[in-house]
Amino acid sequence: MIQPFTSQPIRYVAEDGVPLRPLPPSFTPERLRDLHAQMLRAREFDRKLITLLRQGRTTFYAQSSGMEATQVGLARSIRVGHDWVWPYYRDHTLGLAMGVPMFELLSQCLGTNSDTSRGRQMPHHFAARAQNFVSISSSIASQVPPAAGNAMAQKYLGTDEITVTTFGDGATSEGDWHAGLNMAGAAQAPCLFVCENNQWAISTNLKAQTASENIHIKAKAYGMPGFYVDGNDIVAVIEVCTHAAEWVRAGNGPALVECLTYRVGSHSNADADAEKSYRTREEVQEWLGRDPIARVEALLAHLGHPVDSAERAELIARTHREVDEEVRRAEATGQPDWRIVFEDVYADLPPHLREQERELRAEQTAAQNGGRA
Amino acid sequence: MTATQDAVRAPGAGQGGGEAEPRTINLIQGVTEALAEELARDERVVLFGEDVGARGGVFMATAGLQERFGKHRVFDTPLSEASIVGAAVGMAVRGLRPVAEIQFADYMGPGFDQIISQAAKMRYRSGGQFTAPLVIRTPSGGGVKGGHHHSQSPEAYYAHTPGLKVLMPSTPYDAKGLLKAAIRGDDPVIFFEPKRLYRAARGEVPGHDFTVRIGEAAVRREGSDLSLIGYGGVMPDLEKAADALAAEGVSVEVIDLRSLVPWDREKVLASVEKTGRAVLVSEAPRTANFMGEVAYVIQEQAFDSLLAPVVQVAGFDTPYPYVQDKVYLPGPNRVAAACVRALNY
Repeated sequence: MIQPFTSQPIRYVAEDGVPLRPLPPSFTPERLRDLHAQMLRAREFDRKLITLLRQGRTTFYAQSSGMEATQVGLARSIRVGHDWVWPYYRDHTLGLAMGVPMFELLSQCLGTNSDTSRGRQMPHHFAARAQNFVSISSSIASQVPPAAGNAMAQKYLGTDEITVTTFGDGATSEGDWHAGLNMAGAAQAPCLFVCENNQWAISTNLKAQTASENIHIKAKAYGMPGFYVDGNDIVAVIEVCTHAAEWVRAGNGPALVECLTYRVGSHSNADADAEKSYRTREEVQEWLGRDPIARVEALLAHLGHPVDSAERAELIARTHREVDEEVRRAEATGQPDWRIVFEDVYADLPPHLREQERELRAEQTAAQNGGRA
Repeated sequence: MTATQDAVRAPGAGQGGGEAEPRTINLIQGVTEALAEELARDERVVLFGEDVGARGGVFMATAGLQERFGKHRVFDTPLSEASIVGAAVGMAVRGLRPVAEIQFADYMGPGFDQIISQAAKMRYRSGGQFTAPLVIRTPSGGGVKGGHHHSQSPEAYYAHTPGLKVLMPSTPYDAKGLLKAAIRGDDPVIFFEPKRLYRAARGEVPGHDFTVRIGEAAVRREGSDLSLIGYGGVMPDLEKAADALAAEGVSVEVIDLRSLVPWDREKVLASVEKTGRAVLVSEAPRTANFMGEVAYVIQEQAFDSLLAPVVQVAGFDTPYPYVQDKVYLPGPNRVAAACVRALNY
């Protein structure tokens, strides 16, 4: 039985790969290899996206390197395509692990015609209908009250779905966050709140964010259990999140999970000098020592099923080829044209937008004709 | 219906369809009837907010609905506008037709982020993969001795946000028909109810199911000398001013916009082209008032027809003053004086 409100994060595997308690039987070497591959794929996706940024082919990217166990683990704890997810902006690894095609993620980052969001959102703000992965909003914690409402609708409809919403530690300072947890608690809605506590909201450290001893303890105020898990230990993340998700699914009301993790990179390309300006190299080095991918590799080695270097290199090379190929495919679809400006504002185009569309159409036609209207 | 809204059985034929006689009701009864009929028609419709359940809302707009439809359809929420609006967004995305009540339009501030960041943009930002067809009902405007946190007219904030539809009826017929149209529509709607007309405005509604098309203004009376255009709580003042001017032999056309986003340019422009004069009335503060947009379109599209500058009558650029309620609101005398200015130009 997994207990809420523990003083220390729940762990299953130590940094050196040695299990701290018996591994649940479902964690076979094959499954661990698959999880390892998922995490490695996400990390290499991060690397490739930084390259695309440097090449000027995309304009914004928020890495999730270091947080792979949290996001892949969460994806493996829910029923993908059945449950609903209201993610935050650093969740592409969650999306990838939920099966959102890399082509779709890249199309959105590149703003191509193949972007299902029609090139309207800044890079890294996905939506994927097939996975019930709801459109990401930049405004912090604003997805939290809607997630509560989504869960209330699920309860009203009598489904066995749950809603999952994710957020960083900074989001827990926002009014919307408290409003959302309070609402879900009062309504006993099947909502799983997952804090990806990476300890930095851009340059603001968790200690400046809250006087609370941790995040999960705040769940007490809203009448729900709060679970505390080592977010770099994928076994622990899956065990705790699955337990919390199924507890929520059983009609017990909402729950909060705090995954203690770390983003080893910067917040985004906007603060690429993170280590110079607001955190120490020592701190980053310390967390690199708790790397979630290395931990699974150590665990596999401990279990007598090591990932050999050729196999690892092939996984990396395959991801790089996949990204290159999908970027090519996405870019080949071109850019969405000017019409996307007016589509999807309303269900139907109202008269004032019809008029504005006509104006832009004339302008575009004139431009195509070399300035002649 | 999009794939998102597929979870609940589509509504039946509705409970209208009878041959009942028209009835005279007041505006708040129009709201209540619309809600009751939509709750009966479509099980996806749910109604919630602060005090809307057993209490029936502070203005009694939802009186008796919880009793009739049950606590799962009509319910009280925590005292949190961010929760109420945010939950409505989530419910709408998941396939319900939420109708949320915000107790006073003045209290929408804490829900503002949810309205502008989530509700208004869900369809656009997701490329139509997710939509948020919700209605937020809220009493607005002054004239009830409410002080500034119970009397403001914040419609311009919402009219300025693409993706929202913004409505404000002034008659029981429009309150009922527009609210039903809003609930049935596929876009997020902010539905302002002029609270001082809740019981003051009386009028006839049909005995059968009906809706009022969103985006269509109503010509309340036809005239040839001047177009007097308003919406919401000021409409009785426009009528009184038109009566006074009629006694002086002036023929005033009175138009009720009813719908601010989208608004009926065609009807307004046709009227101004006919009369050559426009007086625009609202009780919201003057600067960046929604009527500024109407004035702009008139000067741009009907400039050649104008015999006088467009005149605007509005509230003052001050917070709403409790004691000087009547001074702040435009009122029939100020409206009539503005018409005279336009006529004598």
